[in-house]
Amino acid sequence: MILECGDLERALRTPELMPDMRAHAEGCAACRQQLYLWDEISRLAPGLHEEWESPFLWPRIRANLAAEPTHRRTPWWRWALAAATLVILAAMLQPWMQPWRSGKSNNPAFLTERALQEVQMAEAAYARSIEKLSALAAQNLEDASSPTAAAYRERLTMLDSGIAELKVTVETNRYNTYLQRELASLYRQKQQTLQEWLQNANHN
Amino acid sequence: MVEASLALLIHPLQAAEYSGESELLAACRRREIRAFEQVYLTHGGRLKSIAWRILGNRSDAEDAVQETFLKLYRGIEAFHAESNLGTWLCRILINACHDLERKRQRDAQPEPEEKTAGPKNQLPLRVALDQALERIHPRHRMVFLLFEVEGLRHAEIAAILEVPEGTSKAWLFEARKELKRMLTETRR
Repeated sequence: MILECGDLERALRTPELMPDMRAHAEGCAACRQQLYLWDEISRLAPGLHEEWESPFLWPRIRANLAAEPTHRRTPWWRWALAAATLVILAAMLQPWMQPWRSGKSNNPAFLTERALQEVQMAEAAYARSIEKLSALAAQNLEDASSPTAAAYRERLTMLDSGIAELKVTVETNRYNTYLQRELASLYRQKQQTLQEWLQNANHN
Repeated sequence: MVEASLALLIHPLQAAEYSGESELLAACRRREIRAFEQVYLTHGGRLKSIAWRILGNRSDAEDAVQETFLKLYRGIEAFHAESNLGTWLCRILINACHDLERKRQRDAQPEPEEKTAGPKNQLPLRVALDQALERIHPRHRMVFLLFEVEGLRHAEIAAILEVPEGTSKAWLFEARKELKRMLTETRR
């Protein structure tokens, strides 16, 4: 292939073209000069490597390395973060682990239904124990004519009414955990009110 | 200084005692100082030269090499041998040099002391090349330095600079072209 001065850069990029470019350069002083410089750059470059004695460098590095802790301790916050992550993971995985423990299916729908049944059973047991407490206090409370007794009666009536309303709402939205918690809260308030009244009556 | 001299007298640089890089790395992970000494013996010269080219003086270059070994010591667990140790060291060194450069820019700016260092009886073209190298694009200069001066392969340079191998080749060509143009101008 016959190459000309304008092909120089293409030839420098393409090693296969270099023999033809050199052939052209034999008769072209400008290209010969360019090729000479091109070759000289690579020939001289290794000479730019800089060497010098540094007798104190390694001892300095070694002293620094020796001063470094051998075992880098993990910062306390990393442990805390790892622990928090584990707790969150465990909380998230708990519903999936229940059927594994009992050997039952891991169908999510089944899980939700079963969890709800457990809540309802607990609620029923709780309600029964509060009813027993209520029966215990009822006679005493109805007989009393003091303003305090009236206030307790009024509060219990309000709580019973709230519980009844919420139970209706819960029936239409059985999987709503917020409503379940609210219902449990009302039961707790009723329990506390009854306990307070009984303690009050015993003191008097 | 006196302490360092004493240390050198008591503990002269040791000869190699690890058969291969994997054995050497395992010793480095156990934080055996002798293993790091071996790494220094193998790579220290090249690291100093590269740092000198970037920073322009020997004192800063040695500081950069020291910083490189500290980073190697602290982060040896992060090295998983997907590249070779020399390549990884070069990458740490270049970053350390850039950190030092930034620090130097923030502080007072001393003049580079030794850019014309080296034997005085060099050919004029060698001196011109040395000076021209300072004026080309920094990333082209870096590839030229690693390939032509330090003898690394394009695959290694690509790993150090985290660029494709083709980019390394293209930058080398651009570096040579820029240098040729500058040398042509100086010879007119």
